[in-house]
Amino acid sequence: MNRWSKLATVLIGAASLIAGSAAAEDTVRIGVNQPLTGAVAASGNYVTDGARIAADLINASGGILGKPVELIIEDNKSNPKDAVAAAEKLIVKDEVPVMMGAWSSTYTLAVMPKLMEYGVPMVVETSSSGKITVSGNPWVFRISPTSEMEAIAFGQKLGQFKIEKANFLVVNNDWGRGAADEFTAMLKGNGIDVGVIETMDAKATDLSAQIASIKAAGGDTLFVTTGVEQLTLALRQFKEQRLDAQVITTGGSSSPDQLIEQAGAAAEDSLHILFFAPWFPEKAPHPEIAQGFVKEWNDRGLNFAGLTEGFRGFDGIMTIKAAIESANSLEPKAIRDALWGVQVQGINGDISFIKQGPEGQESGQNQPNIYLVTIKDGKVASAE
Amino acid sequence: MTSPGTNRLAMGRFAPFAVLAFFALLPFWMTDQYFLHVLIITGIFIIAAISLNLLLGYTGQLSLGHVAFFGIGSYASALMSIGFDLNVFGWMLVVTPKPVWFCILCGIFVAGLAGWLIGKVSFKIRGAYFVIVTISFAEVMRLVALNWIDLTEGPMALNNIPPLTLWLPFAGETTFWSKVPNYFLVLSIAAICFEIVRRIVVSRVGRAVIALRENEPLAMSVGIDVTRYLLIITVISAAMAGAAGGLYSHYVRIIDPDVFLFIFTVTMVIMVVVGGKGTLWGPIVGGLLFGIMPEALREFAAPEVQWIIYGVAMIIVLIFLPQGIVPAVGSWLQSRRHGSEPPATPEPPGAKGAADPS
Amino acid sequence: MDQLLQHALNATILGGTYALLGIGLTMIFGIMKIVNFTHGELYTFGAYMMFFFVMVLGTNFFLGLVMAIALGLLLGALIELALLRPLRDADIDTTMLVMIGAWIALQNTQQFTWTGIAKSINTPFPLDPLVIGSVSVSWSRVFVFVVAIMMIIGTHMLIHHTRLGKAMRATFQDRDTAALMGVKINRIYTATFALGSGLAAAAGALLAPIFVVYPTMGDAVAAKSFAIVILGGLGNFWGAAIGGFILAFAEEFGAGYISSGYRDAMGFILIILILIFRPTGLFAQRERIG
Repeated sequence: MNRWSKLATVLIGAASLIAGSAAAEDTVRIGVNQPLTGAVAASGNYVTDGARIAADLINASGGILGKPVELIIEDNKSNPKDAVAAAEKLIVKDEVPVMMGAWSSTYTLAVMPKLMEYGVPMVVETSSSGKITVSGNPWVFRISPTSEMEAIAFGQKLGQFKIEKANFLVVNNDWGRGAADEFTAMLKGNGIDVGVIETMDAKATDLSAQIASIKAAGGDTLFVTTGVEQLTLALRQFKEQRLDAQVITTGGSSSPDQLIEQAGAAAEDSLHILFFAPWFPEKAPHPEIAQGFVKEWNDRGLNFAGLTEGFRGFDGIMTIKAAIESANSLEPKAIRDALWGVQVQGINGDISFIKQGPEGQESGQNQPNIYLVTIKDGKVASAE
Repeated sequence: MTSPGTNRLAMGRFAPFAVLAFFALLPFWMTDQYFLHVLIITGIFIIAAISLNLLLGYTGQLSLGHVAFFGIGSYASALMSIGFDLNVFGWMLVVTPKPVWFCILCGIFVAGLAGWLIGKVSFKIRGAYFVIVTISFAEVMRLVALNWIDLTEGPMALNNIPPLTLWLPFAGETTFWSKVPNYFLVLSIAAICFEIVRRIVVSRVGRAVIALRENEPLAMSVGIDVTRYLLIITVISAAMAGAAGGLYSHYVRIIDPDVFLFIFTVTMVIMVVVGGKGTLWGPIVGGLLFGIMPEALREFAAPEVQWIIYGVAMIIVLIFLPQGIVPAVGSWLQSRRHGSEPPATPEPPGAKGAADPS
Repeated sequence: MDQLLQHALNATILGGTYALLGIGLTMIFGIMKIVNFTHGELYTFGAYMMFFFVMVLGTNFFLGLVMAIALGLLLGALIELALLRPLRDADIDTTMLVMIGAWIALQNTQQFTWTGIAKSINTPFPLDPLVIGSVSVSWSRVFVFVVAIMMIIGTHMLIHHTRLGKAMRATFQDRDTAALMGVKINRIYTATFALGSGLAAAAGALLAPIFVVYPTMGDAVAAKSFAIVILGGLGNFWGAAIGGFILAFAEEFGAGYISSGYRDAMGFILIILILIFRPTGLFAQRERIG
C-alpha cells in the first residue's frame, strides 16, 4: 500500500535476484583475495596472474576431482577493511571452500577472525608477519617465509657483506615493522649496530624527511621493506639526496626488473632478498616447473618484472589443488585436514606444513628458500 | 530553499509504522545472508545519514567532517571493548575490556563531546571556512588514528573487536554473532534515531535552527541564540553518528584509520542530498538507494564505474532536483492529486520537514 | 646543521609547487566564490597527461609538459561551462556539492582509464644531484622549482598587466559593478576557472616525473591546497604563495624533527589553529567570511 514499501520491494527483489545466483556446484571454486587496486596493486595483480596460470594449467589437465577450477577473485583495495569485506563475500555469497590471500600481513591478520568464524581454510602466499602463524588460528596455512625465517636465512650469508651499522626504512604496517624487528634482532645478535628505524605511510611519495634523518644517523647499510612502487621512489630519492649506503630490500616483493626500468641507475648495486629468481629458473629446486611457469608467463605477454611475485599465486593454487585432491572432498574442514599432509613441488621449492602456535590450535607454516640478487650494469645478477 | 512539503495526506502518519513493519518482517522471508549483510551496512550508513541530515538539512550547516564523529564513536567503542593501556604524562591508564553495550554508550558520549568541541570552535565561522575546518578535523583524526600506534594499532587496524552481547527476554544472554540479530539491532537504532530527529524538528530548538537556516540575521534579531542552538544540534548529531560508528565496529569487528576517510562523509552527503535534505525520509530513501545500488550494479559495473554513476547522479540531482527525491516525489503526487500547481505560498519555516508527506 | 640545511632546501623546492597549487585554488575562490573540490583531480589529470604524452606517445618531455598544461586549461574550461555556468545563481553549498560530485566522477574516470597501478615517468635530467656545499638537490627538482616560480610570476603579470587581468580584478572587487562597466562576467569566470585548473594541472605534470602517478594522488594535494589557501586567506594571491612555502616548511621540519607520520597532519593542524586565532588568514586584506 505504502509507496515507499513498494519501492523497497522492487529494489530488494531486484537485488536478491542477483544475490541469489550463487554457488553452482559444477566447478571447484577457489577464492582469491588480493590487492588489485590501491597502494600495492601491482604486486596483487601479479600474484593473481600467477594464480590464473595455475588454474589454467590444472584445467588443461582435467581439473580437480574431475571438475574445472573456477577462481573467484576479489579486490581487497589495499586495505584491511576491504580485505575482510572481500573474505566475507567469498565465504558467504560465493561459498568457496578454501581461499588464497591476502598479500599484506595486515590484510591477512584482518581476515583471520573470519576464517575462525566460518571455518574456512586460507593459504597465505605473501604475508611475512610472525603473528600470523602463532596466534592460534588453525585455518591458516602459510607458504611464504616469516620475517624471522628471512632474517635468519640472511644471517647465515652475513659473512659476504661488510656491515658495521645498519638503518631501516620500512612501510608503516605489520610487514614493515615485523621485518625491522626481526632483522634488528638478527643484526644485534651478530654484534652489528642498528641506527634509526624510519617508517613511511604506504601512500607516502616524498621521503626526503626520512632520508635526511637516516643520513644524519650514519651507517653503511640500509634495509628497506615496502612494495615495489614505493621502493622505486625511495631508490630515486636516495640518489638525489646522496645517501650512499648499501641498500638491501627484504620481503621478496622488490621486482628488480621493474626497479631497473623505473628507477634506472638509482637501482644500481642494490641487493634484494627474493623467494624466486626467474632469471635463473634452472637453479630452482624443480627447474622444469620453474621454467614452465616462466615460459607461460612470457607467452601471455605479462611483465617479466612480475614473476618474483607471480610465482606465489601459482604455488598457492597448486597447494590448494593438492589438498582438495587428497581430501577428495569440497568440505572446508576436509581440505583443512588434508593441507597438513600435502607434499607439493612448487616453484620456490617443496611445500609442506609444520605446526606453529599454541598446541591444539596450530597454524601451518612452510619452510621456503630465499635467493639473493643484485643489480649490476642495469642487469640482475646472482649475489651468492 | 523551502520545499513544497505538506502533511495533508492522512497516510503520512502511518507510513513510519508500515515501513518499520516491512523491514521488521524482512528477515523472515529473506534468507540470503549476504543480502542481510548488505542491509545491515546500509542501515548503519542510514543512521549516519540521518544524523548528518540533522546538521546539513535542518540547520543548513554543510559539515563535511561528519565521518570524524562516526570514526570517533567506532574507535572509542572498539577500544573500550578490547581494553587498552595508555601512558598519559607518566600516569598509566589501564582500561580492561568492558561489556559492549556500555562501550557503544561510551562511543556515543565521546562522539557527542567531540561534536561539542568542534561546534565551539567552528561556529564562529561560516560558509567555505566552516566546510574546510570540518574536513580538516576529520583528516586530523584520521592521521592521529594512523600514527598513535600504541593506542589504535595504526595501519595494522584494531582486530578481533567483540560483537554485542545482550540479555534478551526469552533468549537470555545472547551474543550477536549472526546476521539476523544484528539486523534487528540496526533497525531498532535507526527507528530510534528517526524518532529523535522527528521530535527535535518540531521542538523549540528545531524551529529555532530552521528559522536560522532560512534567515540568519532575522533569527538573530528576534533573539535566537544562534550558536547555542547550533551547538545543541551538533552534539546530538555527532552522538548519533557515534552510535552508527559503534554499531559498525561491533558488527564488522575490524576498524582501521580509513573509517575517517572523506569518501565516507561524501557517501553520507550523497544519501542525504539525493534523498532530500531537510526531510525526515530523505536520508532513508537516499540511503537505501545508495546502499543497495552497489550490490545491484556489482555484476554489471566495476566499482569505479559505479562511483562515476554516483558522482554524475549527484550532479544531476543537484542541478535538476535541488531539493532531492523525496520533496520532488511529494510535490509531484501533490500536484497530481489536486490537479494543480504545488502551493504557491511557502510553508512557515518550522512546519517543513516535520510535515513531509511521506 | 647539514640536516637542517637539507630540510630547508627541500622545503623551499617543495614550496614552489605548493604555492602554484594554492594560487590556482585561491583565484577561483576569490573571483568566483567557489570552493573547488576538483582541484586535486586537475592535478592528477595533469600528471596522467604527462604520462600519456611522455611514456605512451613518446613525445619530448618539455613538449609533453606544455601539452599537459594546455589540456588542463581545457578541462577546467569544460567543467566551468558544463557544471558551473548553469549554477551561477545557486548558493555556495549547492555549488560545493556539485563540485564534490565532479570530484568523484573525475577521480573514478581516471581510475577506470589508467587502472589502480601506479605509473612512473622518465626524466631527461641527470640522476646525479646538484651539490651545494653539504646539501644536494636533484636537477629535476630544480627544474620543477624554476618552472613553478616562473608560472607564479607569469600569473601575477597576467592579473596585473593585461586587460583580462584587469577585468578579473574588477570582478573580484565587485561583480555587479564590473558587469555594469561592461565586463563579460561569464567569460571572466570561464577564464579564471581554466587558469586555476591549468595551474593545478601544471603542478601535477611537473611533479609526476619525481613521484609516481596514481588515481587518488590528488586527494592529499587538494587537502594541502585548502590548507595553503586558508593560511593565506581565501582569495589572496600572495597570501597563497607565501602560504605554500609556510606549509612546505612546516611539513618538512615537522617530519624531520617531530615525526614523519604527522607530516600530512601539519597542514590541517595549521588550518585549525589559524581558524581559531585568525579566521581571515595570516595576510587578510578584505575578505568576507561566508
